Amino acid sequence: MDQFNQALINGIMLGGFYAVMVLGFSIIWGVMGVINLAHGELLMVGAYLTWMLNKGWGWEPFAAIIIVAPAMFALGYGLQYVLINRIIERPPLISLLVTFSLSIIIANVVKLIYTATPRSVNTMFDGFWRLGNITIPVTKSVVLVAALLIMAMLHLFLQKTRLGKSIRAAAQNREAARIVGIEINHVYAITFAICVALTGVAGMLISPTQAVFPFMGPPLTLKAFAITALSGLGSIPGALMGGMMLGLVEIFIATYVPGIGTNLGIVASFVILVVVLVTRPQGLFGGLKPVEQAH
Amino acid sequence: MNPTPLLEVHDIYAGYQVDLDILRGVSLDVQSGEIVCVIGPNGAGKSTVFKALYGFVPVREGSVLFGGQDITNIRPQEALKAGITIVPQLRSVFPQMTVRENLELGMYLEPNQTRVNERIRYIFELFPRLAERAKQNAGTMSGGEQRMLEIGRALMWEPQLMLMDEPSAGLAPLITKNIFESVRRLNEEIGLTVLMIEQNARQGLEISHRGYVLELGQNSYAGTGRELLANPEVRRAFLGG
Repeated sequence: MDQFNQALINGIMLGGFYAVMVLGFSIIWGVMGVINLAHGELLMVGAYLTWMLNKGWGWEPFAAIIIVAPAMFALGYGLQYVLINRIIERPPLISLLVTFSLSIIIANVVKLIYTATPRSVNTMFDGFWRLGNITIPVTKSVVLVAALLIMAMLHLFLQKTRLGKSIRAAAQNREAARIVGIEINHVYAITFAICVALTGVAGMLISPTQAVFPFMGPPLTLKAFAITALSGLGSIPGALMGGMMLGLVEIFIATYVPGIGTNLGIVASFVILVVVLVTRPQGLFGGLKPVEQAH
Repeated sequence: MNPTPLLEVHDIYAGYQVDLDILRGVSLDVQSGEIVCVIGPNGAGKSTVFKALYGFVPVREGSVLFGGQDITNIRPQEALKAGITIVPQLRSVFPQMTVRENLELGMYLEPNQTRVNERIRYIFELFPRLAERAKQNAGTMSGGEQRMLEIGRALMWEPQLMLMDEPSAGLAPLITKNIFESVRRLNEEIGLTVLMIEQNARQGLEISHRGYVLELGQNSYAGTGRELLANPEVRRAFLGG
């Protein structure tokens, strides 16, 4: 029973991270129709920024958000104007190729600058709480709480603000959004920038819990794919459900299936991805529907 | 008739690609307070006229005047600000937003929230059905209700001219009749000026003051709704005899 409870708690904590990690990927896909294969690399850049602030100036990693979020927002805005804007109305294959190339460029540039040595980030929120025979790691609890807060704020932003509504409008009907006077290119730039900031912050959140290295991105991109298949595009409640599901599956497999090693998570994501795509191509919790094409 | 029409389209040439004009010399005008209907076969360029008016397709020759001002090749946002609003042919509600949110977005460019709420109350008076459904997601309503919402949303911005691209598209005949009835009522009650394109030529012309027939990107006939309905050639070509 303790083993089960422990796995449950670990799964929920991992799932919370996955949920916040997937949002940038899923919203860019939902609003702009771009599948961003450089998602994991952007997350890695956020993690490196956090590591630099932590190592160089002794910053608490969770406080790095005040630098990471605006810096990644600016990076996203720039990328959108220079690159993504040009591929948005093109066939999906183009955006896949461009963002895939981008992922390789980012990973290798980071490797050139910082080498491939894995880096670790220290936090003052370390240690464990004990609850009977169950241990609760403090760092991961902070990550979970931060993830939930970020999702709640994003939800309010999308539902209540004028800018948030214009983003939802552009995702739901591009031509109608143009007709009511929404500047689509501006919405795309802002959406991409917000999502990259969000992804960078996810990198900040994960940095105290795992090694930071240039090639940490691809497995995360693949997991983002699997969770998006579960959750539907751009849905925050869906991302929470899908993230939790993947987190729980990973941890339960690691706990109860012996002798398969720690890399089983990625296998679990792929099994989920394949099963969902075969049985419910529209996604489990939302619609995996294509963004409407402009006329 | 007023000396200066609200909208004047002078001999425009327009198309998606260079050297491939879909419109080759189209002219029409709309007086304030009129309903004007453009009919014609598929591929005649009816929808392109609207896209050209709204800045979605470039006009290469000719001019468009609105209230005496040159608005040729205006951008969509500017067209809206000038007082032209459009109800497109394809479903254009925001399906996962409520009726109220859809209406709010109709006045996306209005910074004053009080004004937006006033307009929503006004639209709800015009269409009590929308008021009943204020909190419902637009995508869950029937086709006719969605069309009504599209019209309501277009009216939010207090337009001087409403462009309607095939209001009957995808609707059952009875629903189409209701929609046309609403358009006529809006025209009579609030003086709404409408320029519409209609595949359903008979019903379109019946509620219109005047009409134009477009063929192969050019004007072929023009006249009052009644004249066109009575014209034997127009009848044979577009009204089924």
